[in-house]
Amino acid sequence: MELEDVMYNNSEYIETASGNKVSRLSVLCGSQNIVINGKTIIMTDCVIRGDLANVRIGRHCVISKKAVIRPPFKKFSKGVAFFPLHIGDHVLIGEDSIVNAAQIGSFVHIGKHCIIGRRCVLKDCCAIADYTVLPPETVVPPFTLFSGSPGRATGELPECTQDLMVDVTMSYYQSFKPVGKSK
Amino acid sequence: MATLLDVNVVKYLCSCGKWEPLCRLYLCRHCQKLRSGDCVLHEVDSPYCPNCLENMPSSEAKLKKNRCTNCFDCPSCGHTLTTRATSQIVSDAEDPNKSTPKKMYYMACGFCRWTTRDVGISDKPVASGAWEDLENPHSRRIHSLLDFYHQVAQREKADKERKKYVRRRSHLIFAASMDKYGLTSVAAKRKSLLSSVSGISIKENEEVNICSLEPVEAVDDFESLPNSIFTDPLQLEKVSTISQRLASPEFQPAMATDLYPNHKHLLIRRSLRCKECEHNLSKPEFNPLSIKFKIQLIALNHVPEIRFLKPKELPFKKETKVVLTVCNPATYNTKLQLLPLEEETAVNNNTKTELPKKEIVLAPRDDSAIYDDNSQSQHGFKDDTSVVAFRKANKVGIFIKVTPLQQDEDAKVCFWLKHEYRNTTVALPNENQEPQIVWLQHKVVINLGPPHKTK
Repeated sequence: MELEDVMYNNSEYIETASGNKVSRLSVLCGSQNIVINGKTIIMTDCVIRGDLANVRIGRHCVISKKAVIRPPFKKFSKGVAFFPLHIGDHVLIGEDSIVNAAQIGSFVHIGKHCIIGRRCVLKDCCAIADYTVLPPETVVPPFTLFSGSPGRATGELPECTQDLMVDVTMSYYQSFKPVGKSK
Repeated sequence: MATLLDVNVVKYLCSCGKWEPLCRLYLCRHCQKLRSGDCVLHEVDSPYCPNCLENMPSSEAKLKKNRCTNCFDCPSCGHTLTTRATSQIVSDAEDPNKSTPKKMYYMACGFCRWTTRDVGISDKPVASGAWEDLENPHSRRIHSLLDFYHQVAQREKADKERKKYVRRRSHLIFAASMDKYGLTSVAAKRKSLLSSVSGISIKENEEVNICSLEPVEAVDDFESLPNSIFTDPLQLEKVSTISQRLASPEFQPAMATDLYPNHKHLLIRRSLRCKECEHNLSKPEFNPLSIKFKIQLIALNHVPEIRFLKPKELPFKKETKVVLTVCNPATYNTKLQLLPLEEETAVNNNTKTELPKKEIVLAPRDDSAIYDDNSQSQHGFKDDTSVVAFRKANKVGIFIKVTPLQQDEDAKVCFWLKHEYRNTTVALPNENQEPQIVWLQHKVVINLGPPHKTK
């Protein structure tokens, strides 16, 4: 099925020169540590914790409503240290998901209401089903679908996952349209 | 996953008779037929551990029982165990008053907090490799059974070979009896040679089979359950669950205190091969981390993909215009036709559909178009506006008219998709041959969802 247009209130979003669409109602802490590469949508009520460590998000990503992105920490004998969080291109993060991963590859789909535990590594072309809890330090290999609590491999993705994800994220960006006047 | 797109609403008929979404299909360019995962040969390329992503050849994986040697699953919840370091005070052997801190390791689950200490496994001085496996109590019996079956297999193989020789011999005898071509002497020589060779091999195998197996003894009576099982209250936290027991089938621990870390199962990378022409349809790169393919003949790259815009309403027994979108995967213009199914007996069809009769030309795919936001080049197509709803890059929207005929089930539209396909396999690169253009036909079914009630 083709994606239906998602209308947003023009005054609610800021569009940057590189095509990022960032909601004014999202919380970007430590914005000097957040790099968003372009054509990425960050929706209302998202939280990105750049104050903890660097966060880098690739091109054509979609961070849905109420998602929380925060860099992971690790306990050492002398206190804790936060690690930078990298998200690849064409990544889709569903509503209400909490992402604490160390690395998310490209062409990854994270469903709604997921918890991605501390220092998880999500490789390229993988998917997390809705309502999944990934415990800390889980590794998700390419072309696998993880679901359940604790999340485990329950399915395989088709070889064309890359094409599908590129198509979804690009058409999402195109169907994400403004209404009304900008400020 | 592309769950957003709901890929299962449009399905194509595979050559094996199975309906699959286009992303799960392959197009064999030698047979020029659609193939699904169920009608191709799956070959294991390399097993790999899903946690440490180390890959190994299949023979090695077989020796390791398809499990990773370094990674363990939590016996309680199934999540991967992580190694934790602690320091322990170890008293010196020479001087009992002196003690030195030493790093010791144990394994813990980050999800259910189970640790190897819970079940009394002692901490190890090295981070990995020191975790010894439990000895399977039945391993001796299993090995003797395996040996026996090896011998049985060997004997069967020898029998088969002997039969082959016998048949050939009889054939030779027949030829000799004819003696038309003066082959008798040659045949006789060969015969004696063969019989001597086969005689040796049979003798050998007869000797092999002497080793016999001690048979299983049936049990007549066994101890009855102790009374405590009926009288003592069950402590659920101390008993293991069925899934915990089945995770280690050789021990099946009944008590939570008997749980032991399990080696992690390996996953595989595999390549697919067409069963008819034996060409590869999909061959991933060796590295389990790579998402690139050496060979990838997925249907999405060759067959136009059909989707539809969800109709606002779909009234029962009323004609509605539905917009199908067709996407051209090729880098050249593709002609395409939608044809009605000849047989009206198609089970899936419960609608009356009016398809466009004319050929429609799809614009080529242009990967650079995405960097060019204001390219409104329309490639100069002159379209009939009653057929073509819109054009956007390599996509075209087509009107079809649908009348649902069944009130209670999902309205389904079924038709033939006929499209041009430029086959590049036949043309050799050094000859300046034009690639062969063929028309391919696929059966497509679209699930439009339940029709709306008419008021």
